[in-house]
Amino acid sequence: MTITQRTLGSTLLKVDNISLAFGGVKALTDISFEVKEHEILAIIGPNGAGKSSMLNVINGVYHPNNGSVTYKGVQRKQMRPHEAASQGIARTFQNIALFKGMSVLDNIMTGRTLKMKAGFLSQCLYFGRARDEEIEHRLKVEEIIDFLQIQSIRKTPVGRLPYGLQKRVELGRALAAEPELLLLDEPMAGMNIEEKEDMSRFVLDVNDEFGTTIVLIEHDMGVVMDLSDRVVVLDYGKKIGDGTPDEIRNNQEVIDAYLGVSH
Amino acid sequence: MFYREAGQFKTSYQSDQAVFPIFQDRIFVALWLLAAFVAVPLLANEYMFRAIFIPVIIMSLAAIGLNLLVGYCGQVSLGTGAFMAVGAYAAYNFMIRADLNPLICFLLGGLCATGVGVVFGIPSLRIKGFYLAVATLALQFFTDWSFSRIDWFTNYTPSGSIAVQPVEVWGFVFDSPLRKYLLCLTVLVIFTVIAKNIVRGRIGRSWMATRDMDVAAEIIGIRPVYAKLSAFAVSSFFIGVAGALWAYVHLGSWEPLAFDINVSFSVLFMVIIGGLGSIVGGMLGAAFITLLPLFLNQLPLWLGFNMSTAMVSHLEFMIFGALIIFFLAVEPLGLARLWQLAKEKLRLWPFPH
Amino acid sequence: MGFFVEVLISGLMAGVLYSLVALGFVLIFKASGVFNFAQGAMVLFAALTFVRLLDILKDTFAPIMLSLLITIVAMVLLAMAVERMVLRPLVNQPGISLFMATLGIAYFLDGFGQTLWGSDIYTLDVGIPKDSIFILESVFEGGVLVASEDLIATVIAGLLVVTLAIFFQKTRIGRALRAVADDHQAAQSIGIPLNYIWVIVWTVAGLVALVAGVIWGSKLGVQFSLSLIALKALPVLILGGFESVLGAVIGGLIIGAGEKLSEIYLGPYVGGGIEYWFAYMLALGFLMFRPQGLFGEVHIDRV
Repeated sequence: MTITQRTLGSTLLKVDNISLAFGGVKALTDISFEVKEHEILAIIGPNGAGKSSMLNVINGVYHPNNGSVTYKGVQRKQMRPHEAASQGIARTFQNIALFKGMSVLDNIMTGRTLKMKAGFLSQCLYFGRARDEEIEHRLKVEEIIDFLQIQSIRKTPVGRLPYGLQKRVELGRALAAEPELLLLDEPMAGMNIEEKEDMSRFVLDVNDEFGTTIVLIEHDMGVVMDLSDRVVVLDYGKKIGDGTPDEIRNNQEVIDAYLGVSH
Repeated sequence: MFYREAGQFKTSYQSDQAVFPIFQDRIFVALWLLAAFVAVPLLANEYMFRAIFIPVIIMSLAAIGLNLLVGYCGQVSLGTGAFMAVGAYAAYNFMIRADLNPLICFLLGGLCATGVGVVFGIPSLRIKGFYLAVATLALQFFTDWSFSRIDWFTNYTPSGSIAVQPVEVWGFVFDSPLRKYLLCLTVLVIFTVIAKNIVRGRIGRSWMATRDMDVAAEIIGIRPVYAKLSAFAVSSFFIGVAGALWAYVHLGSWEPLAFDINVSFSVLFMVIIGGLGSIVGGMLGAAFITLLPLFLNQLPLWLGFNMSTAMVSHLEFMIFGALIIFFLAVEPLGLARLWQLAKEKLRLWPFPH
Repeated sequence: MGFFVEVLISGLMAGVLYSLVALGFVLIFKASGVFNFAQGAMVLFAALTFVRLLDILKDTFAPIMLSLLITIVAMVLLAMAVERMVLRPLVNQPGISLFMATLGIAYFLDGFGQTLWGSDIYTLDVGIPKDSIFILESVFEGGVLVASEDLIATVIAGLLVVTLAIFFQKTRIGRALRAVADDHQAAQSIGIPLNYIWVIVWTVAGLVALVAGVIWGSKLGVQFSLSLIALKALPVLILGGFESVLGAVIGGLIIGAGEKLSEIYLGPYVGGGIEYWFAYMLALGFLMFRPQGLFGEVHIDRV
């Protein structure tokens, strides 16, 4: 897969000295890195290294004990998740956090929530502003459905879909918010080669067409090496590598971590 | 054969998002409305209005209200009786003290119930599942006590119970069963339309998202706090108005016991049996729960043996209990789902699959 | 001062009885993660069965023992029926569905019990002395008047608590029960026989219900309102924490004492009837500020 050269912007996200502990368990210790606009950054590391916890901190789900997150120039110790959402951060989850009781269409429509403004009374009567908004956002959602090629399942309740399609719907919901920063937690987990190729193509297209900055956690090294501009490596909550895919590939500490050399 | 979608192409998102996108469904609903507004008045007798239609309609309103909270937003409430009581007593006080138009009083009763709902809902937001159920139980007992002990609510009547005149609006008196029926039916239709509109829009989606996974909902920008509060508010409004109607139109005279915990359980059962998360389900559940006791009462006569009323009531309890378990285990989406399955079969008819 | 102590002690004794019922809840919740709304109905059913059997068997050689035995068998059968027809079909469903299912069980049991045995009020007499005695005569002048029934109830409850606590912490089955409460699927996957465990738990809860039923019943008479006592147990659990045996005891004592004291001392200011809702409002307060109760566990959701 060839990667077109991306022009990167200024720093969009910076995390400084983030430490996070749950009781006695140290999930993250003194992590710092930065992500530039339009960049694709991969976070890798053995299981339990703290990768999901890192995304949770960026997103406001976990509040770090120490350190700060600087997003779009504003530094803050912690955010509530819905604040992160309104700032343009969207994410997907390792264990799929879709709304199982709703259809694909409705799930992706929920991603547009922040953009819908019609008031309560208008909703009750479903006329005027509310109805126009529904149609306007339906158009946008249909564009995403086309992009992800899930037209045939748009009315299916997501609980009934196979795992790979659910992951695609979750990506759709994240995209519906038109995010500037997209956090993907193992978007390719559990997929076969074809599905991974499809997903990789989607990720690249999102970055290409919309300029979205992407931070993704991934275990498949091939995907990581092909997609990302830079890679951050975590192990036992500490950062042990930060550089281009080639640099990381040759980093001895990283190799040791993956091969399980005793510490 | 009749119920086919073939040939009905939607050419705009608007038509796709209509409440009844299939043409035959629209005919069906039109027929129902026709039956309700025209056929029933012509064919039903007084007993049927009093014992069947009016209670079912008012309880449908309460059940739809509770379903919005429990079925769509996933918040358990055992305080339905309390909200109905608030609606009833508030409407009474507005009528007595402010002498307003009864319909306005009913709506104000609903708003008072909303007020109580919001005030109660705010501290309860961090509580989930059956913790919330216990909290609403607390509300139920507290309201029971308040309406019996605080005499201001009953305008200091010595007996503690209230009796009211039939509803009169601009000189038109709703005293006959037929008129009462039409009043309640109109209210139900309006409120059903409103409920349906809310549920298919942004607010309804935020409720369902909060129900399904509130952590994820927060991450896409839905604030579970607002979602739960709005669900509480709208739900209490519906239930409050239902309470006012129940007191004024159905009962005529009442005391706090009329809205006790058994009412809360009844409406909850209506919601579960009718189908969680379904507007139609509320109505089906209300019909079922209201008709079952009547049916059980008549059954011994039809079968030719005697059964004491106490026995009937025990049987009722057993059947309700068994049905709750049955529906939860086998068909959590209740009668509404069975209805939907029947419709799907009808779409294929006369083909088997 | 003596009066205050009397009210306090009588409240504490009432609290012990609440604790007994709450214990049944805790057992089932600890072991299966289900909040058993039907516990009150079980208390009623056990008491009803026992009292009616006593009447039927009163001319046999050992009416109390026989009735007790048969009632115990009945509770075992009930546990098996519940496991078969309610828990099994609903395994792995969210907690709220299980809670509503126990609501169904409660209704069913209510109706069934009364169909079988009728709905009159029955007096229950198992030979528990009903007179009042003076205790603590050395501490307070003239001593404090307590009912011997209450005293005996306290002793029995205390024994039960100790037994149950040991059972949960020290035995193999107790450990299995805790595993099941934590995660049904995981427990199954390591070979814990879910169905068997559930029958055990519900049986034990049924036995606790029987003890509670006999004690309450001999105090108040066996009647329908016994099942409403279950509702009172809810605030006890909120205060004590749903998973704590100790919490059920302490919570019960606090609620019992609190009710009596507030009724006597605050009641006159608001026209009485505080007993009706005091427990719930206290629970409400706890729910807002410390939802896990005094001894419960806080749950952390991992995303």
